[in-house]
Amino acid sequence: MDNKRKYVIPGDVVTTGPFRPEQNVILEGEKIISTTIGISEIYEDSVRVIPLTGKYIPKINDLVIGKVLSHTSLSWELDINSCYVGFLPAQDVFGRDFSAHADELSSKLKTGDLVAARIANFDRTRDPLVTISDRDLGAIDSGSLVKISPSKVPRLIGKRGSMIQMIEMATNAAVTIGQNGWVVVSCETPEGLLKAKKAIEMINAKAHVANLTDQVKEMLEIKDDES
Amino acid sequence: MGGRDATMVLLDENGIRCDGRKVDETRRIMIRAGGLKNADGSAYIEFGDNKILVGVFGPRDVHPKHMSNTDTGILRVRYHMEPFSVGERKNPAPSRREIEISKVIKEALEPAVMLEKFPRTAVDVFIEVLQADGGTRCAALTAASVALADAGIPMRDMVAAVAAGKVADTVILDVNNEEDQAGQADMPIGYMPSLDKITLLQLDGVLTPEEYKKCVDVGVKGCKVVYELQKKALKDKYFGNGGD
Amino acid sequence: MASVSVLDQLRKAQIIELLEQGKRVDGRALDESREIKIETNAIPKANGSARVYLGETEVICGVKIQPDRPFPDTGDRGLFICTAELLPLSHPTVETGPPQPHVIELARVVDRGIRESHMIDVSQLVIEKDKSVIGVFADNVVVDYDGNLFDACSYAATAALLTSTTPKWNWVDDKPALVEGEETPLPIATIPVSVTMGKIGSHIIVDPNGDEWASMDARITITSDSDGNICALQKGGSDGFTQDEINQCGEISVRVGAKIREKLKEAQKGSQ
Repeated sequence: MDNKRKYVIPGDVVTTGPFRPEQNVILEGEKIISTTIGISEIYEDSVRVIPLTGKYIPKINDLVIGKVLSHTSLSWELDINSCYVGFLPAQDVFGRDFSAHADELSSKLKTGDLVAARIANFDRTRDPLVTISDRDLGAIDSGSLVKISPSKVPRLIGKRGSMIQMIEMATNAAVTIGQNGWVVVSCETPEGLLKAKKAIEMINAKAHVANLTDQVKEMLEIKDDES
Repeated sequence: MGGRDATMVLLDENGIRCDGRKVDETRRIMIRAGGLKNADGSAYIEFGDNKILVGVFGPRDVHPKHMSNTDTGILRVRYHMEPFSVGERKNPAPSRREIEISKVIKEALEPAVMLEKFPRTAVDVFIEVLQADGGTRCAALTAASVALADAGIPMRDMVAAVAAGKVADTVILDVNNEEDQAGQADMPIGYMPSLDKITLLQLDGVLTPEEYKKCVDVGVKGCKVVYELQKKALKDKYFGNGGD
Repeated sequence: MASVSVLDQLRKAQIIELLEQGKRVDGRALDESREIKIETNAIPKANGSARVYLGETEVICGVKIQPDRPFPDTGDRGLFICTAELLPLSHPTVETGPPQPHVIELARVVDRGIRESHMIDVSQLVIEKDKSVIGVFADNVVVDYDGNLFDACSYAATAALLTSTTPKWNWVDDKPALVEGEETPLPIATIPVSVTMGKIGSHIIVDPNGDEWASMDARITITSDSDGNICALQKGGSDGFTQDEINQCGEISVRVGAKIREKLKEAQKGSQ
């Protein structure tokens, strides 16, 4: 840990001085204080803390995995592992000329369905608006859902995707990572699926460990009949 | 631990208290962050013989909707004692004492939590007292802060708490059950160490103006000791052995 | 609770697909319960207590024993009351407020399982006939939810009662007087064990976990005693069982119950 990065908890003073407080810090007099458990980073003129815990805060264009909780005649409500429920309007799926008909929505998406969606809009005055109208989005019809902390998603992806590629290649699994910490894993073989899930759970549990990549690599290389 | 004895010596001639402690010594404190599988954040504390579990959910949707606030998230706290937590079995229904303590703890945490960033949501803090032995509200508040941090609720500071008090005309730190029953004063204090603010303060008993100041001083110093244990609990969970 | 918590459809489909092959999502056999961990004396100041982990379901039971007035028609018997409460921190869907019907059912089923087995000989719990008796309260609190609270609460209460000690009271000056230093174990006649089975399609599974619980069509909880007799039973859920299935469940509950009884006995021995 070089001295520009530090582990902090809420109330810890990160530094004092003429810095601009950015994410997850506040200015109290001269002191810059962390508001969350995380790793502080001090730049030339600003300070921020990268959180290690907390729910997903929607960001426009993020890919998320959602679960349908309910629907009205005009929209679906999705659980996206956030403080707010995702709002998917019927027009997103049926087109602009959609007019409400009884039960039509459950023909496309029903309660309990998993979807890959994108955050279309979000400001804190209303629930996040999601869309599934791109080619790589929509209902997920196979695979297992694994839940990790949203703060561990960058670690799971790795530098330029290196970590997730390593897992996919070693297990032949296809992994869809939602920025909200929900991950869908599908694999032809049950052994591959189990191994991929194990790797993901390992990263979620040990994100702070320095040689995590080596540990995951080692675990993936164990032959199936040895594990 | 003996039963209530009217002739019990609360402070002997060597300045030793009924449970062997010195006047400025807290009971044994153990805090663990996390532990519950379904809660968003949790913590467990043992403060002397107190055993308290806290679970936090949120920020999350508020039901019924009319209770939500369009400008900020709201904090809800429920302090609850199990029937088997006290000497004589307690009725599971919430008592007036539990309702008051719930409110006092909520107001002690509100200056710390930053819910303006989450309008129309609620953060729920559920405190369950499994075993009680004097000073439960301070132990509960201490654990609740850890559980809120564990849940990732943004906070200006942690809130640490302990009670100061008076027995045999002497100001003491961390009042246990016997001292609460038979002593002269009990002053629970909740304190934010970085912001130097007292957010919980109550008093039962009679204090001279000097004793009053001394109690607050002893209490705040005690809170700083408790704070170090809150920090350790979070570091143990999140930073493994590599904490700064 | 299962009705409020939405299970994702892929998971449910997976559970059913595996059952068709005679398998379960966590690798258990259909008639296998999860690992049961029992810690006695979890609450030292209570008269008895136990913390039970059934998979990731966690329940704490505390036993309080104190003098009480007998019921008007049974002045020669002590009191036994068993309760269960779902704590709001155990699952995001648990609400505070007066207990909901499914929690009341849970408490009453757990109570009946122990009461009907005559586990505690309440005729030995009298201080002064018609005036004062010993009341034994076993209060369960659910701390974490992952399915099958019926069995978890039952094991916690049973383990707590097996390791409880009761003080002695004499009748002095028209009121119960505590006799110091005379604690004895409760008078135990048998060890009841409840086994809960869920029905998904035509498959019967023992000890459904949280996801299986949300996928069940119906369930049945059967309690048997140390002699292998069935002493309490509750069917729940919105589907039905065939007669054959009911018989099958009866047989499973006694067989699986016997294995779990050994665990309870171990826990009792461990705390002595």
